[in-house]
Amino acid sequence: MVLDKLCKRFGGVVAADEVSFNLSPARVHGLIGPNGSGKTTMLNLISGVTDMDAGKITLAGEDITHKPNYTRARRGIARTFQHPRLLKRCDIQSNLYLGIDLADKKGHVANPQDASLKEILAAAGLKLDLDESITTLSYGQQKLFEIVRALLTRPKVLLLDEPAAGLNSKEMEQVDALIGLAVRSNTAVLLVEHSMDLIMNICHTITVLNFGRKIAEGVPAEIQSNDAVIEAYLGRGRSA
Amino acid sequence: MIAKKKLIALLLLLAGLTLAALLPLGISNYMLRVIDMMLITYVCVLSLFVIFGMTGQMSFAQAGYWGLGAYITAILTTKFGVAPLLALLVSALGTGLFVALVGMALFRLHGHYFGFATIGVVMTLNGIFQNWTPVTGGANGIGNIPPFGIGGWHITSDLGYFYLLLFFAVAISLVTEWIHRSALGRSFMAIRDNEIAAKCMGVNSYFTKNVAYVISGVYCGIAGSLFAFLSSYTSATSFVFPQSVLYLVMLMLGGYNSLLGPIIGTVLLIMLPEWFRPLQEYILLVYGIGVILLMVVMPDGLIGGGKKLYACVVRKKCQPDDFDKSADNGIG
Amino acid sequence: MALQLLITSLAMGIVYGMVAMGMVLIWRAGGIVNFAQGELLMAGAFISYTLAETMGIPVWIALVACAVIMGLVGVVFHFITYWPLRNSWDITVIISTIGASIAMKEAATLIWGPAPLSVEPLVDGVARFSNVSIEWQFIVTIGVSAVLMAGIFYLLERTFLGHILQATVQDQYAASLIGIPVIVATSLTFAISALIAGVGGMLLAPVFFVTSTMGGITGLKAFAAVVIGGFGSVHGAIIGGIIVGFVDTFSGAYISSTYRDAIVFMFLIVVLVIRPQGLFGEKIAEKV
Repeated sequence: MVLDKLCKRFGGVVAADEVSFNLSPARVHGLIGPNGSGKTTMLNLISGVTDMDAGKITLAGEDITHKPNYTRARRGIARTFQHPRLLKRCDIQSNLYLGIDLADKKGHVANPQDASLKEILAAAGLKLDLDESITTLSYGQQKLFEIVRALLTRPKVLLLDEPAAGLNSKEMEQVDALIGLAVRSNTAVLLVEHSMDLIMNICHTITVLNFGRKIAEGVPAEIQSNDAVIEAYLGRGRSA
Repeated sequence: MIAKKKLIALLLLLAGLTLAALLPLGISNYMLRVIDMMLITYVCVLSLFVIFGMTGQMSFAQAGYWGLGAYITAILTTKFGVAPLLALLVSALGTGLFVALVGMALFRLHGHYFGFATIGVVMTLNGIFQNWTPVTGGANGIGNIPPFGIGGWHITSDLGYFYLLLFFAVAISLVTEWIHRSALGRSFMAIRDNEIAAKCMGVNSYFTKNVAYVISGVYCGIAGSLFAFLSSYTSATSFVFPQSVLYLVMLMLGGYNSLLGPIIGTVLLIMLPEWFRPLQEYILLVYGIGVILLMVVMPDGLIGGGKKLYACVVRKKCQPDDFDKSADNGIG
Repeated sequence: MALQLLITSLAMGIVYGMVAMGMVLIWRAGGIVNFAQGELLMAGAFISYTLAETMGIPVWIALVACAVIMGLVGVVFHFITYWPLRNSWDITVIISTIGASIAMKEAATLIWGPAPLSVEPLVDGVARFSNVSIEWQFIVTIGVSAVLMAGIFYLLERTFLGHILQATVQDQYAASLIGIPVIVATSLTFAISALIAGVGGMLLAPVFFVTSTMGGITGLKAFAAVVIGGFGSVHGAIIGGIIVGFVDTFSGAYISSTYRDAIVFMFLIVVLVIRPQGLFGEKIAEKV
């Protein structure tokens, strides 16, 4: 997937200013930056939740810039949200099936007895009673569940918006395991996260945003020693 | 486990059907008439179950669509001598087509605005029924609608209509339950619970809402056509906004999250006034206050509330009532 | 003829606007749509009948008394239909207001009987401007409504109490953190809302007969006014009301008196199709 010069303004605020980077299969790409630097906006632009002002998005050679978000989802872009968006008035089974339905639409035959589902649930550490309401899950479980749902769609690209925020250390390991699973099934992962441990450990490449502009890109080691990044995070005074 | 559950459900369904089929034995003609009307109302409540209960799109126009179905049948059979079965079919499809046009225009609205616009639809439809005298008979309505029949055979008694209506009510229930469990139904519920998440899961929400609306419109068209045959007379005074509100109250009282809700809601609200005849004068007052009380005590309707109570008492798993308003789809 | 119609439609429109304004205030305070607003208007009409006709209180004092009583009715209404359900799905609250509207209608029939009642106008007779004559009642209606709405506008925008109410409307949680009792703010809003609807009912009472069904269609037209004006906008509701009044009266006079209700609601649909957020509503952005 190629992102070329994506732009978005909200009123006078520039949330994305000609941001470009590539995502490739089986690679985890980190997207970091201080609060308000436009990370979630990037996810919204890629998944099509927010319309773009300018720029071009290509997925596996196809230009999807002007495709609505449900088409993008059917082409293989799955995402999670900062605060999980599950079907609150449905049971767990329907919530799971929603992911499987999309895989069906894409031509994968799947069912809940599928081995891959068991594998995914095991990685997430979720033991689910399918008939229970989704609200019986804890916040952390709901966040994990949302990743499970995204994985069930068999995505080409998986966008994760702060999957580890608000989770305990056990659950963070499970996020790690789920991302590992995605990578093994050849999915390109874009990870927005504040937990530097997670980012530095599992990302192959990292893009750093500040005020909607890309200020650095590279492997974790490069990013850790990049002056511009340190300045963005810590301010000019201390980086000197 | 699953097979066993299915078997139990099937047995229950059969038992219920047998009971329903035997119901008319030994009740008065008046009661039979009430039950016939109840079955028609039930189909309309099911239409609301599809568009609102499943899809979360509040439509106040259902009584108008019900009327549209009735008028199509009335006009076709009395003015053009169309066979009843064909008239029924045309009513269903015609109403569905009309609802598709309404949906295509109005689903561009977001949140509650759609529901508000459907109030406009029912008021407009009723105005047309009431006043377009050359076609709808105006205030006089259309009378002398022939009975329903196929070929040379005609239904002549209320009992006959009871079985006809029971057949349609059961058939439409089965279709609805099938939708409820299908991928289509899940896409409806995804739109209801979280439209953005639904879109990100590949659901074309505009198109899907229209599909749900057309299905609900077809239900109303069938119910309207059957109503025309049953009463042999249509008049605009039945197809009014308060009737739509009644459907909504029935659905919400019973519960919007499973098929049992519409059944219980419809039966209760039709039968309660019959059971409490002595209270006649106060019945609507009691009804109004009862609605408020029930919403306060059981916001999810009798079925939802019952489930919660069961979980709490029997399985000792009480759920807090933490409904997160902010995550709701809607305006503001 | 035209001037007469203009005044009539302005009078009707401003009453629709008042009821609509009440709906918007409740919407902004609690995020709910009150389907019993028309019945609050009906209650105002019946109460004014009792005060002015049965008890013989002078009309202007009756007007004030009616307003005070309706304010109390609003508080009671708030505690029954809204407060216990404030954290539920908004549809649940809608159903509970529908229940309230049914109960109020029936209570009115039980108390005042099913026969339509007539009420003397606040000011009798007609005003003559050169060769047109206009009933004083319409002029009084416009005057009283304008003063009342201006007063509420002032209360909300310029006074400390108004700012407290507005703050609560913006964010109930934050308001409770800085020590504003949300319950007081919301019940006050319901009181104001019921008060203006009730005064609207009292002003309409002499024009129509007072019946338990008068709230239904008036409430729906006020509702159309809210939607046309754009949900959440107070001035939108007032302007929407006046627009509905004009469409209502003029279509009745020039197009078809039988189709006038249908035309009003057709107009509503057309406005929504052209401008999905209403005239003054904020564009609805989906939050992610």
